[in-house]
Formats: sequence, C-alpha cells, structure tokens
Amino acid sequence: MGKTVLVVDDDPDVRLFNTTVCEENGYTPIEAANGEEGLAILKDKKPDLVILDVLMPKQSGIRLYRELKTSKALKDIRVIILSGIAKKTFLRSQKALTEFGGDEIPEPEIYLEKPVEPEELAEVLKKVLGE
Amino acid sequence: MEIKKLLFVTKFEELWFDALQSLLNLRNASLNHVVFLNVIEREKVAMRRGSGYQKSEEIRLREKANIRFIDWAETLFEQGMEVGVYIVVGSLVRKVIEAVGKEDVDLIVIGRPKQGKLEQFFSGSDVTEIVRRSAKPVLIYKHLSQDSKFSGEPFERPLLATDWMPASTKAVAYLKKLKGVVKEVHVIHVVQEKSLKGTSAMAVQKTRKECRRKLEEVCEELEAAGINARAHVYIGDSATEIEKAARECQATMIITGTSGKDAWKERWIGSIPKSLTEKSMFPSLLIPLNAEDGD
Repeated sequence: MGKTVLVVDDDPDVRLFNTTVCEENGYTPIEAANGEEGLAILKDKKPDLVILDVLMPKQSGIRLYRELKTSKALKDIRVIILSGIAKKTFLRSQKALTEFGGDEIPEPEIYLEKPVEPEELAEVLKKVLGE
Repeated sequence: MEIKKLLFVTKFEELWFDALQSLLNLRNASLNHVVFLNVIEREKVAMRRGSGYQKSEEIRLREKANIRFIDWAETLFEQGMEVGVYIVVGSLVRKVIEAVGKEDVDLIVIGRPKQGKLEQFFSGSDVTEIVRRSAKPVLIYKHLSQDSKFSGEPFERPLLATDWMPASTKAVAYLKKLKGVVKEVHVIHVVQEKSLKGTSAMAVQKTRKECRRKLEEVCEELEAAGINARAHVYIGDSATEIEKAARECQATMIITGTSGKDAWKERWIGSIPKSLTEKSMFPSLLIPLNAEDGD
C-alpha cells in the first residue's frame, strides 16, 4: 500500500483533483472538507503528507497548520499548502499569531498557489515523499 | 455573550469590505473569527428550457465571489484573525440559518434589503425572516451618509432602546461585554402617547420621573461595566421616536432586544424590530431573548 496523503479542502472539485493525482501516482488519499475535520483525521490516521487549503469553513488551514506543527505527535507530518491565498499572507498570518503569544513554527515544505497542473502536483508529491 | 465570531453575509451589492472594517474594533472586545457567506440565488442558476441547470453560471458566480473573499481574507489573516468562507446556492434565509448552526457564530451581519412595499407585504423580507428565526443577534448594517457627523464605527456610540422587558435586559447584558469598543451608550425609553391621555401635568411628570429612574439604573449597570451611558425619555410612537432619538444623540447604531413574536402576528401588527430592519437609516442590532450567553 502506498503512502497516505490527507487532502483537506472545502471545494469538492479540488478534493477530487488532488485525490485523483494521488491515486494515479500510487499514494492512498484520504479526504477532509475543513480544518476541523482534517485535524480529527490527522490525529486518528497520522498520514505521511497533508495537502492543505487555507481558506475553509470551521477552521482555516492557517490554524490547522499551527496546531499540527505545535503538536509533538503530529509535527513531523509534511505539509504542502495548496491555496488561493498568497504565501506572504500565510507567513504574515503565522507571524501575527506568534506575536500574539503563540509558538514560532516552521514554514511549510511546499507552498503552491491554485490552480496547479496535475504534473506539477505529482512532481511535488514525489519530491516531498521521496519516491 | 461575547462577540468572538461573526458571520458576514453579503451579496456584493449592499455590503463591502469597508463595512466589515468598520466593525473590526470589536477585536478590542474579543472578535477573532470572521466567516463570509455569499448565497447565490437559485433563480440565477436554475433550470431553463433548452439549457438545463446553469452549471457554468454557478461556477462563474462562485469564482467571482471567491476572488473577492480571498482578497478580504488575506487582509484579515495578516492581522492574525481566523477566516472562513461559504459560497452556496439556495435560499438566503435557509443558508444563513444553516451557516449559523455550523459555525456557532455570535453575531450575524447583513445588509438591508432593497424591496418595494408590495413585495414586503406579500413575501416578507428575507432579513426580517432571519431576525425572526435566528437565536443569534443580527446586525442590519446600513451605511450612514458620508456628509453626516456620524462615525463610521457602528459600535462606537449606540442607542439602546429599552422597554424593561427580558429581551431588553438581554441587550444590556450584551452591551456590557463590549467595554473597549463602545465609547458611550444612549439609553432611551419611549412612553406611548396613549398612556398619557387624560392625565394631569403632574401625572405626566411622574411617569417621566419613574422612567428616568429606571433608565438611570440601566446606565449605572453599564457604567459599572466601564461604559459611559446617558438616559433619555421620549414620548410618542416607538419606532418614530427611536429614530428621532438616534439622530439627536448622533448615535452610530440602534440596539434593541427582540422578544421573538410569531411571524403572523408581527406581519400584521408591526413591531419595532421589523421597523428597524426595514426602515431605519441607522445600523440596527437586534438581540433575541433566547440568545445564548456563550460564557
């Protein structure tokens, strides 16, 4: 069985796109429709990688990423951010949260701006998962 | 009953980001999460003879809304706020109530609908229906005229209309949580003219004095919570006098409790919340009696 990839995105079309790319490249995808659902699956399944959207209902990717990277059990899970939100916004947001008293957290492995081509995503998956 | 999370409902016709920005001083209280909601009316994408469901139109409208929300969200994220978004197709009232349930928001912000009198009479406005059905406070946002002396921040100098009923007490409790946001509250009570008919000058003054005493009690309660407050008594038709008082006090918003009368009764006999929703020139915050305390 291939490595597990958790796809967290509120847009069902994007989830379908991402999970299809994962399957076609030999990975096992799991889906979550928002950050809250994503965190629950992360704790339960501990996937090898997360493809994470930022702007979502219930809990954003910004907060989920922060929870993930500040959790001893989850912080080593690799993350690809795939979002319409600009990378500099993501980084500034994390900086603001750190200034409000949060922990300093590392940048995500890869930050991709939507939309991406399937080949680009496949290449990034291989790069991050080392296959 | 703190405002930590608000639902900002927009059709991109009446409410823009400047409206939301004017509410961001709520961060001085406890606001840290904004959820955007855009409801695409079903008629815009409905089945049409010969062409079926307008999927491409739905995608176009969704992406148009998404582009705006991404832009707005970036500004809020960079301030360390949490942001969520819903772009959905369906009925405005149902989708707002659904989003309130899913997100457990503390405040709904929505623009005033533009409707003709006939339409209001027959179908009732969506916003009035949301106020009636929501267990959460609803702020009907209106842009005050640019040449007015009014501040652009609705929570800065609100006018609280009280009738001493439990819903009004709820509204006072709500305001007390907003120290650091509200600078001054004008607390008013409107005495109905009919209750003064046939009475002497002494009796009228006695009524005023009694109302004033009760209003001062509310003011003291607010001042104990760190919010300046002033009491005013008005006489006449409630909706008209509340509007008049808001102008005289240069209020930035009108706040009142809502008792949750049934829709049928409200439609025929009228009510202050209904009048504020549909006619007032001021932003109006309507706090339902059954609003949860949340703390």
